Amino acid sequence: MKRRKLDVKQLPAKAAGELDDRFQLASPLRKVLTKVFPDHWSFLLGEIALFSFIVLLLTGTFLALFFDPSMTEVHYEGAYAPLRGIEMSKAYESSLNLSFDVRGGLILRQMHHWAALLFMAAIVVHMGRTFFTGAFRKPRETNWLIGVLLFWLGFAEGFIGYSLPDDALSGTGLRIAGGIAESIPLVGSWVSFALFGGEFPGDSVIPMFYILHVFLLPGLLLALIGVHVGLVFIQKHTQWPGPKRTEHNVIGYRMFPNYVSKQGGFFMLVFAVIALMAGLFQINPIWMFGPYRAEVVSAGSQPDFYVMFLDGIVRLFPAWEIRAFGFTVPAVFWPGIVGMGLFTMLPLMYPFLERRFTKDKAHHNLLQRPRDVPARAGVGAMALAFFIICTLSGANDIIADKFNISLNAMTWGGRIGLLVVPPLAYLMTYRICLGLQQHDREVLAHGVETGIIKRDADGRFYEVHQPLAQPDEHGHTSLEYNGWTVPKKMNRLGALAPTLKGFFKPIEQPAPKPEADGEDGEVGDGEKREEITAGK
Amino acid sequence: MSTEVPAGEGKKDEQAEPLDVLDPNVTRFELVKEALRRDGVEILHYEPRFPVPGTKEEKRVVRTISFFFVLSGLAALGFIVAYIWWPWEYEFGGADTWSKWYTPVLGALLGIALGGIGIGILTWSKKLLPVEELMQERHDGASDPVERRLTGATLVHIGDETGVARRPMLKRALLFGAAPLGLAALMPIGGLIKDPGDALFTTGFNPKFNGGNPVRLMREDGTLIRPEEISVGGQITVFPAIPGGATLKHADSPTLLIHLREPDAEEARNNAYEMNKGSQWENLIAYSKICTHVGCPASLYEQQTNRLLCPCHQSQFHITNNATPIFGPATRALPQLPISVDEEGYLYATSDYKVAIGPAFWERERK
Amino acid sequence: MARFIAALAFVGATYTAFSPGIYADEPTDSALTLDEQRGKEIFDQSCISCHGPDAQGVEDRGPSLIGVGSAAVEFQVNTGRMPMARQEAQALRKPPMFTPEQAAFLGAYIQAIGGGPEVPEDVDLDNLEGADVANGGTLFRVNCSSCHAFSTGGGALSSGKFAPDLHPASAVEIYQAMLSGPQNMPVFADNQLTPDQKRDLIAYIKYIQDDQAQGGWDLGAFGPSTEGLAIFLVGIVALALATLWIAGKS
Repeated sequence: MKRRKLDVKQLPAKAAGELDDRFQLASPLRKVLTKVFPDHWSFLLGEIALFSFIVLLLTGTFLALFFDPSMTEVHYEGAYAPLRGIEMSKAYESSLNLSFDVRGGLILRQMHHWAALLFMAAIVVHMGRTFFTGAFRKPRETNWLIGVLLFWLGFAEGFIGYSLPDDALSGTGLRIAGGIAESIPLVGSWVSFALFGGEFPGDSVIPMFYILHVFLLPGLLLALIGVHVGLVFIQKHTQWPGPKRTEHNVIGYRMFPNYVSKQGGFFMLVFAVIALMAGLFQINPIWMFGPYRAEVVSAGSQPDFYVMFLDGIVRLFPAWEIRAFGFTVPAVFWPGIVGMGLFTMLPLMYPFLERRFTKDKAHHNLLQRPRDVPARAGVGAMALAFFIICTLSGANDIIADKFNISLNAMTWGGRIGLLVVPPLAYLMTYRICLGLQQHDREVLAHGVETGIIKRDADGRFYEVHQPLAQPDEHGHTSLEYNGWTVPKKMNRLGALAPTLKGFFKPIEQPAPKPEADGEDGEVGDGEKREEITAGK
Repeated sequence: MSTEVPAGEGKKDEQAEPLDVLDPNVTRFELVKEALRRDGVEILHYEPRFPVPGTKEEKRVVRTISFFFVLSGLAALGFIVAYIWWPWEYEFGGADTWSKWYTPVLGALLGIALGGIGIGILTWSKKLLPVEELMQERHDGASDPVERRLTGATLVHIGDETGVARRPMLKRALLFGAAPLGLAALMPIGGLIKDPGDALFTTGFNPKFNGGNPVRLMREDGTLIRPEEISVGGQITVFPAIPGGATLKHADSPTLLIHLREPDAEEARNNAYEMNKGSQWENLIAYSKICTHVGCPASLYEQQTNRLLCPCHQSQFHITNNATPIFGPATRALPQLPISVDEEGYLYATSDYKVAIGPAFWERERK
Repeated sequence: MARFIAALAFVGATYTAFSPGIYADEPTDSALTLDEQRGKEIFDQSCISCHGPDAQGVEDRGPSLIGVGSAAVEFQVNTGRMPMARQEAQALRKPPMFTPEQAAFLGAYIQAIGGGPEVPEDVDLDNLEGADVANGGTLFRVNCSSCHAFSTGGGALSSGKFAPDLHPASAVEIYQAMLSGPQNMPVFADNQLTPDQKRDLIAYIKYIQDDQAQGGWDLGAFGPSTEGLAIFLVGIVALALATLWIAGKS
């Protein structure tokens, strides 16, 4: 009995020994265990996308068990009464069965769709973080490129997934995609025929999209995500400037146990949010749209949000068709093909463009606060404004209807907004960045505003400032800005009692009140008071 | 682990001599520190969260974490029970129908189960794991110049060994061999390529689908249409009365048949393009339902203003003026279907559309 | 009251709500019944300023009501669209001015002097049992969803006009609207959509309205736009807060 117990205790060590005998693991394993990761909330945004992708793989596998990607016409005989007896494709029928006749099928379908939206939303947010902090600079341009490609792959994968159920809404989306494909000069009609295996809608697009959706694109996504994460691992994560942090080190906690436990917990939270949303919010009620038929459309037909900017710009682009020598370049070619090409190429080229303009060829491992690079922040704000206006215009009929605005006014508003708002966003962001910079420098030079107003002998009022270091004879401090938060409130300097931790009741004892120190007996009196009067 | 570690400021002690790793008296934490040192990691700050084990505070944290784990387990059990026993089959009903709550109940329980584990692990990580701040060197940037030189020389040497540079004939021959092979590998994709032919220029109303005879109009249920069956100020979606005319086989054929009021019909007749002259039958006018922008069904007919709105991109067409676009991104008028009434009193298309319907494409005027 | 009449006159100047004269019959000369007489009294008091004596219409104010039929009158009056309150892109549904009984009198009067479409008496709209919901769905998707949206929640039309939400409309009102084509809605007379088809259609509308959303809250049933909003406002916000908590110092 005793001996056996001992054996069990020794078992892990023994197994480890056996493994190391064969694979020589000790030192590579230790390097992984003790790898240091920097810690900041904004570094976790990309993980939302990563974890959503895992949920997508899990739920997608379940859906694939029941989905039949066939365009054969059948009569629906399932549980949903308003569609019974209606002719529809097998793809639509199996999607309906998945929602109504498979136990728990609906929640997995909804999880899959919400996870897809979360995947794309997280990519957008993560991309913004990377952009505004300059994390894409050398040596990380490759990962920026992969990230942009991941957005577009996700875009394609999502759009194809939205098309698969073959309901009236997704068919409308396909029709539009077909129309955009047809607009390509010279080969448009050939491209469209290749896509649909004949004239729209043909009978092969769903099976073809299916193999793209479940094999080719997920494979590519998985491979690129692997490289993306692998490069972060190899190149080590960027970090914010701060005490002791330099371009040549990384300060944080070890991969094990700290980093991994946080990642594991966060994965569970992402999964939980997807599950909650999938249970509580209906998404894409395909049974309301009915089977796709060429003559059927619903008011307020929109793509999912990540395609909406394309739909929006297609709505806004004026009717400028080029007809010459008997050939036509349709208007939709410009926003639909050229526009999307620009939206792909400009982000891909951005790191190199910026390098050209700033002539900055150095390695960068420290992030920049957006305010410190006003031009980049401005460009980012400009791009964001453009994206948001396009996206809102993609829903402009819903907005028009629900907020009682004229549809035509919405279109014109979008057209004008697209030209006017992005430059304004650039200018405003630029000025705001300069303002924030100036404020930082001011606080460093003069100290923190205390809120204490003093009146001097000749009746002047002034606010007392708490300098951040010993001031010189002019009351100025010569602190250098180090690219990180400058304390701007007194409690940041510890002048006020720190907030007690705990949500409903304090989980720590308040610090003992400082004994009335000495003569006048006032709490907190002493050196601090004296210092305050020094500033001005 | 944390409790075994002697409490203290983790400021790295300057070690005068390297630690004797194999010395049995060395503590485990000293070994860990040595490992970190060898991996280029410096401890800036290290302290166990609870230096004194078993305090009230620590027990409280442990209880909190346990609570979340247990909550998670209960919710997961609830999920299993609900999954199996909650009524799930679809039935019509209001909010008091049990089966309507199947998905929300599953979602909520699964969310709590997953969230409970997540919050538990994160609380564990935040409240129980030691507070640590470590500094690791990055060693990024280019490789060591010596390494670079050695590897570069090796690469060039390998290139020399193959002798490609010295034997240009081989280079050309290989290129000639590989390029067609690469193209050949692409050929199977060619199976997808289909000649559009005249498919984009014809619709189901083309007499070729009806043995050369003009095609009648029908409803989606296959019934033929008499002119008096459309209300004044009304509209109806019609299809070519051929086999499969209302199916996706002829997705280019849905047509909007509108019964205009007398003055509007007159206006439409007067405005008609040369091509569209005589296409109306009395006050009935038929336009392709497929938008000329990107192909949505443009079907929001406003019978007072005689505008037709496409719900996808808000193009608006003027029905009494050849359905020319008057707003939005569409550039071309909706093609008009020439219609008449045959001797049996049914509506039919006197010919196919005279221009290609639907979205524009490169060669659309080359017919 | 004076202000109200003035508003009516102002509105009438730009408003043409009814399809004029579609079903124009010879005005009947026979004496009005009691109900029709009551309708005439209401008409002469409240409608005459725009629609003119004997509902012949007043130029630039209000259209002739000859031939619009009782269906149109009852629909417009019972949904509060008539009398109009002020000038708008289109008449809005509001609490009705008249009781259903008064509306019936008005309808009877207009029917008597001009004829026009009426809701057939043999259609049972109170009890939609037995209607073919699936057929109704097909008809709804072909004829209605392009304006009123898949969820019957309504949608935008050109230049500020809109197709209204169908939720507040009763079965009879939907029937009357199809018959009369109020405002910019196309007419679906009984020769185009048979009474049975209309009943199927109404049954479908009522079915999907009364059926509790499957799979959680439908977010207003606006399609992907509110779903996109939700993923940012709920999903991203919740997880961004989580990242703040995870990375926060403790």
